[in-house]
This record gives sequence, C-alpha cells and structure tokens, in this order.
Amino acid sequence: MTASVRLNQLNHWFGPFHALRDISLEIEAGEYVTLLGPSGCGKTTLLSVLGGFIEPSQGTVFIADADMTSVAPAKRPTTTMFQDYALFPHMSLRDNVAFGLRMTGVGKAERHRKADDKLDLVGLKADGAKRPHELSGGQRQRVALARALAVEPDVLLLDEPLGALDLKLRRAMQDELKDIQRQVGTTFVHVTHDQEEAMAISDRIVVMNAGRIEDAGPPSRIYREPASLFAADFMGEMNHIPAQVGSAGAQTALTNLPAANLMSGAATVCIRPEAVRQDGKGIGLGDATVRDATFFGAYTRAHVIPTTAPDMVVVAHLPPTSLPETGAVLQLSVLPDDIRIFTKDTA
Amino acid sequence: MNAGTGTKLGWGFVAPALLWTLAFFIVPFLVMGAMSFATLEGRSLVWGLHLDNYIELATRAYLWRAILVSLEITVTVTIVSVVLAYPLAAIIAFRVPPQWQRLALLLAILPFWTSYVVRSYAWLLVLAREGLINQALMNVGLIVEPITLANTRFATVTGFVHFFVMLLTLTIYANLVQLSPNYRRAAADLGANAVQTFRHVILPLTLPGIATGAFLTFVLCIGDYVTPQVLGGNNELTMPQVIMVQLGRRADFPLASALAIVMMAIVTLAYLASARWLRLDRV
Amino acid sequence: MRMAAWLYLILAFGFIYLPVGTLVLFSFQDGTLPVPPFNGPSLQWYTEVLADDDITAALINSLVVAIGSSAVAVVLGFLAAYGLARHVLPGSAIMRGLLIAPLTVSYLIVGLGLLIVLNRTGIGLSLFTAGIGHVVINLPLAFAIIYASMGAQHENAERAARDLGASEAKVVLLVTAPMLAPTLAAAFFLSVTLSWDEFIIAFLLTRFDITLPVEIWSMLRSGLSPRLNAIGSVVFLISVTAVLILEFTVLRRRRS
Repeated sequence: MTASVRLNQLNHWFGPFHALRDISLEIEAGEYVTLLGPSGCGKTTLLSVLGGFIEPSQGTVFIADADMTSVAPAKRPTTTMFQDYALFPHMSLRDNVAFGLRMTGVGKAERHRKADDKLDLVGLKADGAKRPHELSGGQRQRVALARALAVEPDVLLLDEPLGALDLKLRRAMQDELKDIQRQVGTTFVHVTHDQEEAMAISDRIVVMNAGRIEDAGPPSRIYREPASLFAADFMGEMNHIPAQVGSAGAQTALTNLPAANLMSGAATVCIRPEAVRQDGKGIGLGDATVRDATFFGAYTRAHVIPTTAPDMVVVAHLPPTSLPETGAVLQLSVLPDDIRIFTKDTA
Repeated sequence: MNAGTGTKLGWGFVAPALLWTLAFFIVPFLVMGAMSFATLEGRSLVWGLHLDNYIELATRAYLWRAILVSLEITVTVTIVSVVLAYPLAAIIAFRVPPQWQRLALLLAILPFWTSYVVRSYAWLLVLAREGLINQALMNVGLIVEPITLANTRFATVTGFVHFFVMLLTLTIYANLVQLSPNYRRAAADLGANAVQTFRHVILPLTLPGIATGAFLTFVLCIGDYVTPQVLGGNNELTMPQVIMVQLGRRADFPLASALAIVMMAIVTLAYLASARWLRLDRV
Repeated sequence: MRMAAWLYLILAFGFIYLPVGTLVLFSFQDGTLPVPPFNGPSLQWYTEVLADDDITAALINSLVVAIGSSAVAVVLGFLAAYGLARHVLPGSAIMRGLLIAPLTVSYLIVGLGLLIVLNRTGIGLSLFTAGIGHVVINLPLAFAIIYASMGAQHENAERAARDLGASEAKVVLLVTAPMLAPTLAAAFFLSVTLSWDEFIIAFLLTRFDITLPVEIWSMLRSGLSPRLNAIGSVVFLISVTAVLILEFTVLRRRRS
C-alpha cells in the first residue's frame, strides 16, 4: 500500500527553539525520499511529525489527501522504524512482526502466515521462533523492517536505520532497502546524516539545515547543481573561492569567471575537487604548487596552492596514476558547467 | 597482574572481611542451627540432636499458628503492596513531566526516613480509637462509636503496606524508567492502545523487576518484629513475635532457634519458587 | 484516563503522608494526647524531649554506633573488593557469595545468632556488640557497591602507579581509594542511614547503653504521648535534611 504525502507550511517550536521553519514538501506515492542534514537540523523532528508523535505548532500534514495533522500514530497509515529498532525482547521474531496485526484483531493463523511472509521478504524466513537477543545488529534491523511493513503502511518512516552498522554491512543494507522498497511500492521517508547513503538509495534527497529545507531533488541534480551554498557544501567536498560580482563578471584571485544574471557584491564560487582539471580544457585557473598529494584508491587527493592566491588551498582530485611531488607546479582549469556561484541571495 | 605474589596479597586484602563474616555471621548462624537441635532440661542447656523443638513447632497450636499468621500476612502485604505501588510508579514514570519525576519520586518515598519504630507508632495514632480516622468518621457522621482499627491484623497489614508501597514504588519506578521509550512508541505506532501496550509490552518486560521487589517485600515482611508488635495487638502473633517471646520470658534459645531456622527455610522456598521469574532478566 | 491518574496520585500521596503528617502535626499539640482535637501549636514537647538526658544520650550512642560500624564496614568492604577485583584468587565466587550472604537473612536472625554466641561465651551486651551486628549487615552492602564500581579505568591508573614504582599499599591509598571516593562516600552514607534507624539488632545486643530506636521503643511502652511525636519528628527532620543535602550536593555534582 502506498500514498502521497503533502506537508504545508510546517512550523514547530520546542519552547523558544524554532525547530521547523516553513517546511513545505510534496512526496509522490511510491517515492524513496531521504531527509539529509547535520545533527539538529530538524530532520528527526520532521519525521516525528510525519509519524504522529509530534503535533506541529503550525501547518498541515496530508497523507493520501486526508488531513492527518492531529491524528495519533496508531491511527495513521504510517509506521516508523526506530533507530534502536525497539524490538520487543520478550517476544519471538514472528510475534514481533505479527504484533501490529494482532492489535488490529487479525487471527493467530493468519497473522503468523503474514509475519512469515514478511520475514521471508527480509531474508529471515527460518528464524521466526528466535528471540531478538539471538540476532546480530543487521538481522535485528531487518526484523524491525519486517515488523513495520507487516501492517502494510502507506508510508514507512526510517529514523537513521543504518547508523549502528559497520560500513560494509551498511552498504549491503542500502541496496536491500532500495530493493524491498521497489518490491512493496510503499513510500519510504528515510532520515540520515550520511550523504553517501542518501545518494545511494534516494529517488529524491531533501537537504535540511537549521529547520529549513535547503534543497530538494534527485541526487545527481543536487550534487551537480546545488540550490544553496549549504547544500553544495554538505554533499561531497567543495572548494570555496571568494569572489566579487560586478560588471566584469565574478572576479576571483585566480581568474574572472562569467557571472550573468547574478546579484552584485560578495559571492562564493564553488568548484568540486574532481572538477579541477589538469588537461587545460575549459577556463584556465592559473598555476598552482602542490602542497601534498595522497593516494586514495580511486583518485589522488592533492592540496594545491595557487600562485596568484598563496593564502588559498584548493583541493583537487587527480587521476590515481598521477602522484606529484610536493612543490610540483600544475596548470589548473575548470569547465564552465562545473562552476557554481552563490551570491548573498542564493547562499 | 602476577598470580604469584598477587595471590598472597590478594588474600591479605580479602581476609579481614572474610574473617569478620565468618566469626560474626557464619559461626553464629551455625551455632543457632545447632541450638535448634538442643533442648532445655530445667534451666540447663543440653546439646545434641533433639528434634523436640521442631516437633513442638509442628504440634503446638500456638506455634504453628504463628507460622500460618506470618504467611497469611506476608502474602497479603506483598500482593496489596505490588498492586498499589505499580500504578503509582507508572504514573510517575509516564505521566509526570520528565523534569519533575525525580522530585515526585523523592516526595513519594520521603516518609521512608521516619524511624521505622516511629512510623509504626504514627499509624497507631492514626488508627487508635481516639485517633484521626475514627474522629473524622464520627465528625462526618458515618459512625457513632469508634471502631477498633488498631491492634488488629488490619492495622499490621496497613503499617506494612505503607512501608512497602514506598519501597516498591522506588524499585518499580527504576525498572520502568529503564525501558526504552521507543518500546511504547513502537507499540503505539503499530496500533496498540494504552491498555494493550501495557498488557503486551510493559508488563512482561517489567515482570522480573516486580518479582525482585515482591521477593524483597516478602523477606523483609516475614522477618519483621516491630510492626506486628506495635500495631497487631496480642490476639495473634507472628513468627518474629513468638521468637522474641521465647527469648524474653522463657530464655528458650533452642525453640527460638528452631523457629528462626523455619523462617529461613520459608524464605529459601520463596526464593526457589520465584527464581524462575527473577532469572528472566534480558533486555 | 488522565483524570484517573492524577486522582490516584493524590490518593496515594495522601496515604503515604497520613502517618507522617499526623506525627508532625501532633508533635505541636498543646495537651497530653497526640490525637484530635488539635490544640496548639506548642513547643513544650520539643523542649522536653531535647532536654531529656536519656534521649540525648541515646542520640549520641546512635551516632557513635552508626559512624563507627559504617567506617569499619566500608574499610573492610573496600579491602575485600580490591582484593577480589584485582587478584585472581581460587574460589573467588564462593568468597563473594559468603560476603554477600548476610543480605539474604532477616536482621532478627543475625541478631539472634550473635545473641546466642555472646550469651554462651559470657560476653556482655553493649553498644560495641550492637556495632558488631551492624557491621555484619552493612559489610555486604558496602562490599557489593564498591565491588561493582571497580572498573577498568581504575585498573589502568593502578597499573600506571605500579609502573612508576609505587608499592601495593601506596597504590591502594593514593590511587584506588581517592578514585573511588564518591562510591566510598555513598556506601558510607547508606550504612550510616541503615545503622542509625536499625532497631532489632540494637535491641537484642545492647543492655544499658542503648541507641535511639531502642530508646523510642521503651518510650512507646508507656503509651501514646506527644513526646514520641516530638522525638519522631526530630529524627525525621534530621534524616530528611541529610538526604536532601546529599541529593543537592553529591548527586547534583555527579550529574554536571
């Protein structure tokens, strides 16, 4: 089962603290959306509002075109997967997964059958009789997922579900989550602070900061054309080059860059490390001296100091075969498409 | 950590406490055990393996009634105290705002710090024929003559329950507060109402804590002399009271020892019976 | 549901405070019976009680026994905890069990056992014998609390001290004990509280010099009197003040 979600002008205060500011968002039925942002940005608060654990001070929450703003969690077509899984330790896995069905009065045989189905979906078919403490972290996470899906919610809310897992397991689970979501078709809203995770699984990423939505869109668009300085910074690494926008374009210490339709005044030019080129194509950025270069497997990460701006350090990702010595001089350039300029009104 | 000199030194550290426990607990306990098999001939003590005391316990009504009375009172007190304390602990843990919980708990157990003897005395005041409750009931017109509340089993049970409700509120609260709030949220999220959440999630998870508290109540209650002596009157005596009578008037150490051994046996049985629930601690 | 909860809370608190409230209220009774009607307030009973030599003597005795027995209990408990936690000794599980065993036995039985032994060996009863009994009941508690607090971080500090040349005695005195100061204080305070209020062992094992609970007991034998209310309220006040001080100093500091 699946449904669309519409959030309109959500505002929420915890005492004097303004936790959510004018949040408006539309999520299509069946979308996998990630709420991404640093600690304290409001993403978990937003998830709680969606789940019905918090009633927002202002604004509305519509799920499948029905006003759910004040509806209790039990009565909403949502279920939440908690960060610590909250599996009932005194029940078997099967009883855990069947719990929601039991609460709605489903008979024993049928709810056990449905529970086994869901355990099968997450790959734990034979373990129905076990207790949570007998499982590993990754397995418990799957049971929590099965339990949340057993009641066939329209929207599944995941609160940093992969935080407790190690890197390899996390990557595997990301793929599995995406797979399962495609299979059941439910709308997934997933909270995380890990931007790699967000990029791996989302149909759309919603970047949040200080209670506001900074940017929302498909991972590729957010990465390549971030809408704000914060979003640009949060996703991957970014070089910041101060600039002055005037009649002659954006003037930086390295070179002048075209800046059509931009507000005059101070600005920041953002260039991704992998967009800094050595092959001379695109706009020249001048010479730079290598401060250090470290092999990172898929690329070489180099800190370079531009000749025309000795106070600046630029991070460049060079091909892995290139490992320049400290003091080597490189000629840098960048393609115009790879440049983002943020002025005061877009920062 | 080297085992060689370390071990000798280690013994050195543990020895004082061990010796103390041995000398002033183990040995007296064993002596008491031996004493329970001794007998009094006239005024002199005869050691040996006499079963007189235990036979007397089983046959003399005055004695085995005391055992029965102790059991009845203790079981009643345990059940009533748990039933009254659990909701109180739950209300403090779940309904009182988090920043006030510590204060609420402290206020709920503050009377703990009246001297144990004094607290039983205070209940005597409240329950006496001229006391607060009778006066209040007469003023309101519910009764004409004061009713006998003090010096009854009711008074003893009330005195005990008052003490143990405070103790159990503390232990059950500690147990409840340890539960991750996400358990309740998850249950609610999956469609459970308050009653269902309590029945299927909270109660089973707190059962070990309740069992521990109930066992503690049982042990402390059955061995207590003060409350029944102050509040119970002399119509029926509990085991501790009978033990003290044997010590005082008759200086009958053997019989007193036998009673004490029986009391310990009952406590051990209670432990074995409840061990099943006590062992279920797994979160 | 909300209403029912608050109603229950009020009723429960009413029940809990009924005896204490009555006690304190009628300690100010202007009259000879601590029962309604309440005339007063009068401080006559407080002045009488605080001027009573027997009571003051009993109070001091209680303090002496409490502090003395608690000090012994904490020292023995600490040494035992250190010995068991830091050395691999054969049969340590049995030793731990033995040290904790007195917790499982009713105080009456502890007192009875000691009474029998003292009686048979002809040793007289005194505050000292009562103190011995109190150490028996407080030692297991002190040991358990301190043993549970001896963690790995303490062990590393001790190793560092030994590495720098300290003898075993110095390590215990200069490193272990100070690091465990809050735990030792808590164990000490708990023991003092339990000993201060303890009746049956003190009753069985004292003769001429008695502790406060035993003194109150003998006062009780003379019937209802506001004197008991007054001394009871004083004891209550002292205990509550100590607890509140502990709560707002030691425990607050630990949280920040």
